[in-house]
Amino acid sequence: MNVDSKLCIGCGACASVCPVNAIEVADTYVRADKNCTNCGICTKSCPVGAVTVERKL
Amino acid sequence: MAARAAARAGAEVLLLDKRRELGVPVQCGEALSEEPLLDLGIKPNPRWIAGEVNAVRLISPSGLEVSISEKKVVHGKVGFILDRKVFDKHLAMLAAKEGADVRVGTLVDSLLMDGKKIAGVKASSFDGRMEVRAEVVIAADGVVSRVARWAGVNTALKLVNIESCAQFQMVGIDIKSPEVMEYYFGSRITPGGYTWIFPKGRDMANVGIGILGSRTQRPAIDYLKDFVNSMPGLKKGRVIEINGGGVPVGGPIPKTVKDNLLIVGDAARQVNALTGGGIDSAMRAGDIAGEVAAKAIASGDVSEKKLKEYEKRWRKQMGKRLERYLKAKEVLLSMSDEELDRLAKALQGVEFEKISLTDMLKVFMKVSPKLMWKLKGLM
Repeated sequence: MNVDSKLCIGCGACASVCPVNAIEVADTYVRADKNCTNCGICTKSCPVGAVTVERKL
Repeated sequence: MAARAAARAGAEVLLLDKRRELGVPVQCGEALSEEPLLDLGIKPNPRWIAGEVNAVRLISPSGLEVSISEKKVVHGKVGFILDRKVFDKHLAMLAAKEGADVRVGTLVDSLLMDGKKIAGVKASSFDGRMEVRAEVVIAADGVVSRVARWAGVNTALKLVNIESCAQFQMVGIDIKSPEVMEYYFGSRITPGGYTWIFPKGRDMANVGIGILGSRTQRPAIDYLKDFVNSMPGLKKGRVIEINGGGVPVGGPIPKTVKDNLLIVGDAARQVNALTGGGIDSAMRAGDIAGEVAAKAIASGDVSEKKLKEYEKRWRKQMGKRLERYLKAKEVLLSMSDEELDRLAKALQGVEFEKISLTDMLKVFMKVSPKLMWKLKGLM
């Protein structure tokens, strides 16, 4: 999971859909921990298009 | 609300919020009917009321308008468009007045455990790290709902159960009727949701959009920009604030109580799935949670069995209603744009104040027998 910090508003929509509870939402940032599987579900929930994932091919 | 109720019932209360300023950022359309305020003994105050509304206008995909007066839609006499930045602080003030200790800018980052038992929380703030021992933890941490997850309750939302929402607070726009909330539907402009205009006077409004996570092709904010650009009365205005967030619309979680833990509000998914409104149910549930927690602590028993009173009471008060809204949402989501237009056409000129249920059913029958079937469970 990559978060564009210029776009992110810290709303936590991504964290609420994360199936492995890997996203931390603090006051000024959102970040994924090592459990992130790059599944991409978070990208669909982000209202401002700040979240992208790199597909591991 | 939970903090106020618990403090009022005699508990020693610590309210922790990660926000340095309560109510900021706004993650909400800010609409609330008067009823919950009256029920909970909160006097409406012009300091946190930005607009008063009493009717709803629904706009179908092809632009047909259906107007309904508020009395028929919500149970309250009147609706408010709040200023959450002031309202949330007001609620914290009410809690503080009852004796609750309030700490803002304090991020709870894990549960404090005694073996398998929840014994409080760990948090960090400007003052450094702290451990708070508590007999009962009330998790009111919003849509992210991390506290519940730490406690082993799976609150992860499926994409089909989240509305991804973006909102502009706009000024310098044309609002024809400041007392009317407008809802726009259509799979092209708002897939699996609706676009709203909630007026804050004649030239100001919350203009927002909610899109179902499973149906979105682009970020909500892109749909919102398109909507604003398509409406001359909005396009000329200015955006003074950008808000966003996720709204859980899959119904409440099956269990909102564990030993030493209560889950309330968006964290418990206590949201009207049809409208996405959650202030009303969160306030009511919070009030019950606080009271039950204080009583349990006073009795020396904070087991799940004892705390279950919270679950029983909130479900009794709003469980059926939330279920009905969930079903209604599913019906709405199953309707095509053509069906929505046909329904809007059939409802033209209908006086909702006077129409009987039988006549209403006849209208639905005219639109589509299939729709009638879908609505069966709701009547």
